[in-house]
Amino acid sequence: MVSAEPRPTAEPRPTGAAPAWLLAKDVAMCPCGCIGTRRRGSYLAKTVQAGSTVLGQVLFGDEMAGRAGLLQRVEPRVKIISLVWLLVVAGLAHSVGTLAVMYLAALGLAAASALPLGFFVKRVWLFIPIFTGIMVLPATLSVVTPGEVVWTLWHWHGAPEGFTAQGLHGAVRVISRVAVSISLVVLLTLTTPWVRLLAALRGLGVPKIFILIVGMAYRYIFLLLKSVTDMIQARQARTPGTPQHDRGARAFVGASVGALLGKSAQLSEEVHQAMTARGFTGDAKTLRRSRFHAVDAWYAAAVLVFGVLMLIGDHVLAHR
Amino acid sequence: MPTDSPLLVCEHLRYRYLERFPALDDVSLTVHRGERLALLGANGCGKSTLLKVLDGLIFPEGGSYTAFGHPVTEDSLEDEQMSRGFRSRVGFVFQNSDAQVFSPTVREEIAFGPLQLGLSREETADRVADVLGMLDIAELADRAPFQLSGGQKKKVAIGTVLVMSPEVLLFDEPTAALDPRTQHWLIELVEELGRAGKTIVHATHDLDVVERIADRAVVFGEDHRIAAEGSPADVLDDEDLLARVNLIHPGVSPRGVTRC
Repeated sequence: MVSAEPRPTAEPRPTGAAPAWLLAKDVAMCPCGCIGTRRRGSYLAKTVQAGSTVLGQVLFGDEMAGRAGLLQRVEPRVKIISLVWLLVVAGLAHSVGTLAVMYLAALGLAAASALPLGFFVKRVWLFIPIFTGIMVLPATLSVVTPGEVVWTLWHWHGAPEGFTAQGLHGAVRVISRVAVSISLVVLLTLTTPWVRLLAALRGLGVPKIFILIVGMAYRYIFLLLKSVTDMIQARQARTPGTPQHDRGARAFVGASVGALLGKSAQLSEEVHQAMTARGFTGDAKTLRRSRFHAVDAWYAAAVLVFGVLMLIGDHVLAHR
Repeated sequence: MPTDSPLLVCEHLRYRYLERFPALDDVSLTVHRGERLALLGANGCGKSTLLKVLDGLIFPEGGSYTAFGHPVTEDSLEDEQMSRGFRSRVGFVFQNSDAQVFSPTVREEIAFGPLQLGLSREETADRVADVLGMLDIAELADRAPFQLSGGQKKKVAIGTVLVMSPEVLLFDEPTAALDPRTQHWLIELVEELGRAGKTIVHATHDLDVVERIADRAVVFGEDHRIAAEGSPADVLDDEDLLARVNLIHPGVSPRGVTRC
C-alpha cells in the first residue's frame, strides 16, 4: 500500500539534486502483512533455473571425464577413430539382434568407465522417443509400409489398416540404430574432457579455425549465460507482484536479445584484442602433447575385432 | 628506478571511436625505461584508449607512436619479427578479466602467450608452474576460468602477462572491483616489479593507491587532453586540478577527508 500523502509538486531544482519523491518515506509493502494469491513460476524464472541446471550438468560432465575408468585412459584420437568405425558398423547392421549386442557392449563400456548406468541410459533414451520415435511413427502404418497388419486401427474398402509387422520391425531397427549411435557418442563426450576432444579433432586434421571458434563459443557460452541470468534477475527484482506474460514481457525478451548481442560483440572484440596482445596471429597452440600408450593399441584392436565380428554376425543373421 | 632513456613515445595522438566520439585529442607522452607511470582521469577521458594504443591494439588517426625506437603502426606490426618482439616486450592486463581468460583451464590460459611466442612446451610448462606458485594459485591450475571469483580471475589475468616476462606492463584499472586483500597483494606486486626494473603504466582513478604504484602521474581532462603531469604527491595536493578534471568532488580532499 502506498502512502496517501499528497504528491510533492515538481519544482525547479539544481542539477544533480535528488527529487523530492525519491526522498519521501513511502511504505513499499502493505503494513498489515497480508499476502496475495500465488501463481506458478514464469518462463523467466524457469530460464534462470535452466541456466543453473546447464552449469551443474557441465560440472558433472567434467567430473565424470576425470574419473579413473577404461575409456578415460584411452587417447582421445583413438576414441574418435574407434567411434567412427563403430558408427559405420551400426549403420551397416540390419539385424536388431546385432544392434542389441552393440548396445549391451556400449553399456558394458559405460560401466567399465565408471559412468552411472542410470544416468547414461536416461541421457540416451530421453530424446529418442521424442525425435526418432515421432519420425518413424508414420512408417509403421500400413499406408506407408504395406504388410501384415498386427494392430487394426481402421478399415478402408473393407481391408484392415493399421500397424504392420514389417513397419514395426523397421521402426525398431531404426530406433535401435539411433540408440546405439547416440550411446557411442555420449560415451565419447562423457569420458573425454572438452579441451582434449578439441585437441584430438585438431590432431585428426579438422581445420584449426573451426576448432578455435567451437572452443571459444563453448567457453563464452557460460559468460553469456551469466549475463542472461543477471538481466532476468534484475528485471525480477524490479517487478512487484507476479510477472505477467503480456506485451511488456515479450518486449523485455526482445530487448534482452538485443542487449546480449551487443554485449557479445563487445566481448568478442575485447577477447580478440587480449589474444593479439599476447602474440596470437591465428595459430592456436596447446600445452598438452598427446602420446599413445599400450592401452590405446589394445582398445583399438579390440574395437576393430568387435566391429568385424558384428558385421559377420549380422551377415549370418540376415541370411538365415 | 626510472632512467632518462625514452621507451614509449607518443606525439600528438588523436583517436575517435566510430570516427565520431573523441577519446584522445592531441596527446603527447613519453614513458621512460624503468618508470612507473599513472594515467589519472575520470571515466571516459581516454585512459584505456591510450593503453590500447600503447599496446598496438588500436592505431591513432593522427600523431605518431614509437616503441623501443621503432614506429608502431598497423603496417609495422604486420612484420612478424616486429610483432613478435613488440608483443613479448609489452604486456597488457585488461580491466575486464573475462576478456583476458578465454582458455579452457587456468594452466592453458597462462601457457597461451609463451606458446604463441614460440617457447617450447617444456619451457612453457616450467614457466607456468613458476607463475602459478608465485601467484599462489597452483590449486586453480585445472579449473575453468568461469568457475573463478573476480579476484582469482584478476590473478590469472596478471599471471598470463607475467609469464611472458615483458619489459613494459600496462595495467587498466588494476584495483577496480578487488577486495582489500587482493588490492593490497596487487600493490605489493607492482612495487616488487618496479624494484625489478619493469616499466609500468597504470590507468586508474583510484587516488588512494597512486602514491604507492607510481613515480609520475599524468592527469587527463574530460576534454580527452592531458591536463597536467607531475609527481603523485604534487598532483594529489592540487585539489583544484583534481576537482576540475572530475577526479574528486569539490570539498573532498583526494585522501578522503572533507575540508572545513
